[in-house]
Amino acid sequence: MLKILTCFKWVVDEADIRIDAGSRRLILDRVSYKISPYDRNGVEEAMHLQELHGAAVAAVTVAPPTAKSCLKDVLSRGPDKAYFINDPSFTDLEPSQTSAVIAAAIHGDIEFDLIICGEGSSDLYTQQVGPVLAEKLGIPCATYVNKLTYIENENRIVAERKLDDGIEAVSIPLPALITVLPDINTPRIPSLKQVLGAAKKPVENITLDKLGQSFHPCLQTIGVLGATMERRHLMFGAQPEEIGSLISALLKDGVIA
Amino acid sequence: MAGILVFAETREHTLELLNAGVNLARDLGTKLVAFALGNEFAPEYISHGADEVLVLQPLAQDQPLESYVPVLAQVVREEDPDVFLVGATQRGKEIGARLASQLNTGLCSGCIGFELDKEKNLLQMERLLFCGLAVQKVICTTRPQMAAVAPRVFDRAPLVEGREGKVREISAMPFSPVTVVSRTPRAREAVDITEAKIIVCVGRGFEKKEDVKLARDLADVLGGEVGCSRPIAEELRWLPEDVYMGISGKKVKPDLYIGVGVSGQIQHVTGIRDSKVIFAINRDESAPIFEAADYGIVGDLYQVVPILIEELKKALNK
Amino acid sequence: MDFEMTEEQELVKANIKEFCEKYVEPIADQVDQEARFPAENIKRLAEQDMLGIPYPEEYGGAGSDYLTYIITIEELSRACAATGFIVEANTSLACNPIYKYGSDAQKKKYLAPLCKGDILGAFALDERGVGDDAAVTAISDGNEYVLNGVKTFVWNAANAGLFIVFARIDKSSGTGGVSAFIVPAGLPGIEVGKDVKKMGLRGVPSSEILLKDCRIPKDNLLGQEGQGPAIAGTALDASRIGIAALALGIAQSALDESIRYSKERVQFGQPICNFQAIQWMLANMATEIEVSRYLAYYAAWCYDQDMPHSKEAAMAKLMASETAVRYSDSAVQIHGGMGTIKGQKVERLYRDAKITQIHGGTSVFTKMVIADNVPGW
Repeated sequence: MLKILTCFKWVVDEADIRIDAGSRRLILDRVSYKISPYDRNGVEEAMHLQELHGAAVAAVTVAPPTAKSCLKDVLSRGPDKAYFINDPSFTDLEPSQTSAVIAAAIHGDIEFDLIICGEGSSDLYTQQVGPVLAEKLGIPCATYVNKLTYIENENRIVAERKLDDGIEAVSIPLPALITVLPDINTPRIPSLKQVLGAAKKPVENITLDKLGQSFHPCLQTIGVLGATMERRHLMFGAQPEEIGSLISALLKDGVIA
Repeated sequence: MAGILVFAETREHTLELLNAGVNLARDLGTKLVAFALGNEFAPEYISHGADEVLVLQPLAQDQPLESYVPVLAQVVREEDPDVFLVGATQRGKEIGARLASQLNTGLCSGCIGFELDKEKNLLQMERLLFCGLAVQKVICTTRPQMAAVAPRVFDRAPLVEGREGKVREISAMPFSPVTVVSRTPRAREAVDITEAKIIVCVGRGFEKKEDVKLARDLADVLGGEVGCSRPIAEELRWLPEDVYMGISGKKVKPDLYIGVGVSGQIQHVTGIRDSKVIFAINRDESAPIFEAADYGIVGDLYQVVPILIEELKKALNK
Repeated sequence: MDFEMTEEQELVKANIKEFCEKYVEPIADQVDQEARFPAENIKRLAEQDMLGIPYPEEYGGAGSDYLTYIITIEELSRACAATGFIVEANTSLACNPIYKYGSDAQKKKYLAPLCKGDILGAFALDERGVGDDAAVTAISDGNEYVLNGVKTFVWNAANAGLFIVFARIDKSSGTGGVSAFIVPAGLPGIEVGKDVKKMGLRGVPSSEILLKDCRIPKDNLLGQEGQGPAIAGTALDASRIGIAALALGIAQSALDESIRYSKERVQFGQPICNFQAIQWMLANMATEIEVSRYLAYYAAWCYDQDMPHSKEAAMAKLMASETAVRYSDSAVQIHGGMGTIKGQKVERLYRDAKITQIHGGTSVFTKMVIADNVPGW
């Protein structure tokens, strides 16, 4: 039976972020968290494969222990079990660290045929964890997939990648990893029974000492500030004369002729 | 210091990265090296700033571009460059990430700009967070320092007549267990929205598909093109995917962007933030687009746009 | 005292919000203006296990609790009160009597399809006569009861697959003989009257049902003969908590709209949310909504603990419905002329709010229930 791991990240809901007008600091006191929307597509794709081919699906995440409410959330979306790789130091990790942690947890202990990741996470959107994890596990990968087919008797997948110049369909032998685009599927809204059923599914806790190594970042953040757009904010009325003045301003700016 | 390396999927993108690398190379006192996907590109890369061009072996029909990863990694280990810039197309992003992993170094994805800290010889790289809400500055403590830079973040390098440089062939063969089964080129629209100097953007304020004509009329008077926000293309399908602007769509840098009935969510604004002038029309005073605009009119687009077209015709003598 | 929702309740609330944004909100205005029953969303809600939330899985329910159900009604009503009410009537008025008083066989036969949303249930209590006394009769005849009479204000009669009908088994016995019956729709002798044109909750049809020599098997008696008032009382207590949630959703929506509008609307050079008068109105709104919320949640908690809850349910409904009426009115005020225009959400909220003060027991009636139950009175 096909064994699928679906990776997800518990992220800050960017709609709750406030920016201090003076210092441009990010204010994160009242933020709520969610499963990164791109990962919802990944989980849904794993469930789609389960429905078609009878696969076993496990969700995997790297997070601080305080993030444990992510588990019932992800389990309500279909996976049979979840791996909660957690440690208080697992906050603001860089993609190379996240991938190293997941690889360390998987190595030798967790069997898999296919790993599915979202194309990126909605907070950092580095789009690195998928390909870097594949490298660390020594498996091939396909990124930006918007259509996936599992060829059962040949133990391979055919993935259609939506790239800048068109669709590239690739064939990959398993075990492999893919990252998926939002247009690959429409994630379900879990039903009430699916939410209630989440509590009954097993969760395996994997802690830092079990991994037996430390994970150092290569990048160092030296600043995070709210993005500004220095714009003039000049408002005009909707009457013809006012619009005429606006047009004069545009002519003066040299953007129309 | 053993050089600034540059790799991109297309010739145009390589020329842009050469521009990004030229000052860096000068400040670090090192050479600027570009990878080329064929001999034919070498002279142009040299005349646009490359001191050296490394020509890669051609790919077999069924090999994806990412087959170059082991080859690039080997070159980096031999050359030990200080900086490696990768062109962030979809393929480029995968290549950059996998390369960084193989080299045990960090990659600044979606790099929108960088500055050299000359004292420490460290690149301070900038990228966006939270769908464009914030800007993050990072440095890389390992080598090479890597950044993935999207197309059109930099202008192409200027042509310098009579420049000389070395051309070297890389003999290592590209390899990947992934095979390409088929390629279906994107039906190119006649219009490339990223080239347009004036863009009229259709937002959710438009009530039906037929009304997009109003945006076209406005664009025609100005000699501009019509684009849209993501929902108009992806959900309503009133316009092709090619012309939607935003964090997951096109990034544009026109002289003038006019958002008509566009609310201005951060995901969209991220795609248009480099426009020279932003002008917004929306009937909701509190629409976020006005925060991002130079000029704004609060009003019903169905009333404002026809008047705007009339007044423009008069002002531009059309 | 733990005032936090469980993880499951948080997830359900988030899911229902997403569901409303995707499916309920986009048609809410149309449902109201065209008085259209939102059949497609009721079907989707059934698929989401939302039509029998507090009932056990063995009878087709979701096996959840009353508080989760109340949270769901609140969110649904925030988007579209009509949709919230359809679910509430099915769950609290139709399912509840069968769950509390039905035999195992009746639960399996009638409760399961209601919980799964295969059919919708309706509650037929009110009559043309004065007050809440039943005048419809159910006369015993061999193995059957024969029902005659007219029931009024039967919400969702037109779409019901099953009615809970309260009838007197003996013409002369006053309320003592009132009993409850499970009456499947479509039987000979049942006629569903025309929908009445209503002020609010226009997406839920409401009409009379006319019973003329309608025969039902004796097996369809719910509980014992004469247990009707107790059964009605239990259902109404449960439903009052549901109506409280309905009103709460309406009130919350009124607040949401008022905040949004007051930030946009500029008068005398500033957004009106800067004016003290508006700020005080919004502060009062937010506070009383919070009070209504905790009263409703507390009543639901009592229900889940199997504690007596008539007083709490009546208080919750009284408070929430008064809040909904008062503040949907304020919301229209804040919107000025705009608030009276069809298609504006607050215009619909104002009309939807009123009925919450009336059905399930008028405010006057609920005060009587409270008075009966306040200790030391």
